[in-house]
Amino acid sequence: MPLLTLEGLGKRYRQGEVEVTALHDVNLSVEEGEFAALVGPSGSGKTTLLNIIGGLDSPSSGRVHLNGIDITALSESELSDFRLLQLGFIFQAYNLVPVLSALENVELVMVMQGRHLHERRERAEHYLQLVGLESMMHRRPAALSGGQQQRVAVARALAAGPRLVLADEPTANLDSENATALLDIMHRLSHEEKTTFIFSTHDPRVMERAERIITLRDGVVEGDERIEQHRHGQ
Amino acid sequence: MSQRHSRLPLTVLFSLAWRNLWRHRRRTIITLSSIAIGFALAVLSIGIGDGSHNSMIRNAIKLGEGHITVQPRGYLEAPANYKYVADGTTLAQQIAELKINGSVQPRVSLQVLASTANNSVGAALEGIVSADDPRALMLQPMLVEGRWLHSDDSRGILIGDGMARKLKAKLGSKVVVMAGRQGGDSQAQLGRVSGIFDSKVDELDDFLVISNLGFARLFLEGEGADLTTRPVTRYAIFLNDEAEMTQWKSQLREIIDTRSMVALDWQEMMPQLVQFIVIDDAGNYVILSLILILVVFGIVNTVLMSVLERTREFGLLRALGMSRHHLLLLVFCESLLLSLLAVVIGWVVGGAIHLWFAGHGIDFSALIAEGTAIMGTFMDPIVYTELSSARVLQLTAIIFISTLSSGIYPAIKAARITPVEALRT
Repeated sequence: MPLLTLEGLGKRYRQGEVEVTALHDVNLSVEEGEFAALVGPSGSGKTTLLNIIGGLDSPSSGRVHLNGIDITALSESELSDFRLLQLGFIFQAYNLVPVLSALENVELVMVMQGRHLHERRERAEHYLQLVGLESMMHRRPAALSGGQQQRVAVARALAAGPRLVLADEPTANLDSENATALLDIMHRLSHEEKTTFIFSTHDPRVMERAERIITLRDGVVEGDERIEQHRHGQ
Repeated sequence: MSQRHSRLPLTVLFSLAWRNLWRHRRRTIITLSSIAIGFALAVLSIGIGDGSHNSMIRNAIKLGEGHITVQPRGYLEAPANYKYVADGTTLAQQIAELKINGSVQPRVSLQVLASTANNSVGAALEGIVSADDPRALMLQPMLVEGRWLHSDDSRGILIGDGMARKLKAKLGSKVVVMAGRQGGDSQAQLGRVSGIFDSKVDELDDFLVISNLGFARLFLEGEGADLTTRPVTRYAIFLNDEAEMTQWKSQLREIIDTRSMVALDWQEMMPQLVQFIVIDDAGNYVILSLILILVVFGIVNTVLMSVLERTREFGLLRALGMSRHHLLLLVFCESLLLSLLAVVIGWVVGGAIHLWFAGHGIDFSALIAEGTAIMGTFMDPIVYTELSSARVLQLTAIIFISTLSSGIYPAIKAARITPVEALRT
């Protein structure tokens, strides 16, 4: 049974007098452990699709099943809990809480999950170590570079033990070196932790590392390609 | 999914709120300063109000009939010279048995006509024990001519400078004191001016004639009283501790013959003064309300601004799984901490100002050159600010609740943020 199933997903919204179709009849399934990229030009519906999968936005039609739960049927507070327990998020920018240190940022989701101090501290330190930030865990975001901040976001997303990590253009604000490093970390952890990643991008460097490329254009799935050789190439 | 999972322990909530509060250090300090200044102004304004009111009350009690008065029933409503306590000796003994913590002064108060060859004026004759009556002690320093009464001064009287002018009386002048008698005819006694006082209170200076108890009792004898039972028109009771007033009043009510006598406190004796203070207090509350409105807007501005500029961050927190409820609590905690800090700093600043003026006083004599007499009493020209513990609690509660409530709107605003829209900003 796939981890994620999208059935006839559509999203329409009004922009002034005009009705815009952001997504149209999207049907997809994602297996556990996949490292999938959503690609397409700006306005193709990548962020809208990620937001709907993440329970941040609701579809106009269709269903989203994640881990056996129809998230389109959940109430707002249930969705909030669903995100807390099942999902990890990495955004393009402004990913961290500025008043918390890297360690505290990673711990925050686990605090909300109700995990004990000892457990969450151990996990937070472990994941910060995995992303190579063990020496900077007590720094606040302002004292970290953009690339380091995104790595903290990756550590936060994984430390909470999600079934699925959604990353919306995670490398968009990073230079080439940092983008590559971040992708390497995400890819490695996806395998080590057996965590499913779906990330949107129009960055060719990111696409190179994806094991599956889902192409969106004007809200419609234009292509869905599995690239097995990349998995072994890394 | 029905069970609520999102948790945020209070320690984490407060730690986050505290750090958020100091995110813009300068803004928070400016807000706290404005609240502290507002608070200090409120403390000073209430302290001056209470200080001047209490000064008026203390003077009114000393110049008037004490904290508690025991007098014939019906005298307050319709004073008349024939309403007196015939057996003063027994009443004095009964009161003495209570061992009241204070002094008990016998008084004979009569409505009379004071006349000289030049003029006649209506007057209040007050027969007192001149040696230790608080009224005597209060007026003695205000004597501008002559001397105070000796205990054996059987005909000596003291009058105010206003009355002296009207009667064209001087030291040593003879003044005929006349009083109506029940039944219609009148009686008169001859007094001699021993001294003239100037209290700055027109009601006293124009109207009051003070004599020894013996002189005033002569009129009661004329009403049929037996002087051997030491008749009085009232006992004025001055307490050492005003807080005990209710307790002593009820004890007095138990021992006196309530069919013919009443025990009244100063508030019952001087309802106009109480009313004046209530109205004046209302004015102070208006000032307090204006200060509070400024303070509240200051806080709303600070917290709301900090909420609006963190829209994206709140969106992130919501996306990560923080519930609306916790986000609301977080912003509310920021207001709570701001309010607590404001109250503490406000009390440090306001308390220091209050303590200074409670010790040194504020000299209003230059502002109130024409005198501070009001409602038959007067305010000391130097006002020492006063704050009772009840006032401290009241001010703390008012400032705390109003600053705290100013955080409600920003908190609701934060909780309404939808993550997808917030993250788009």
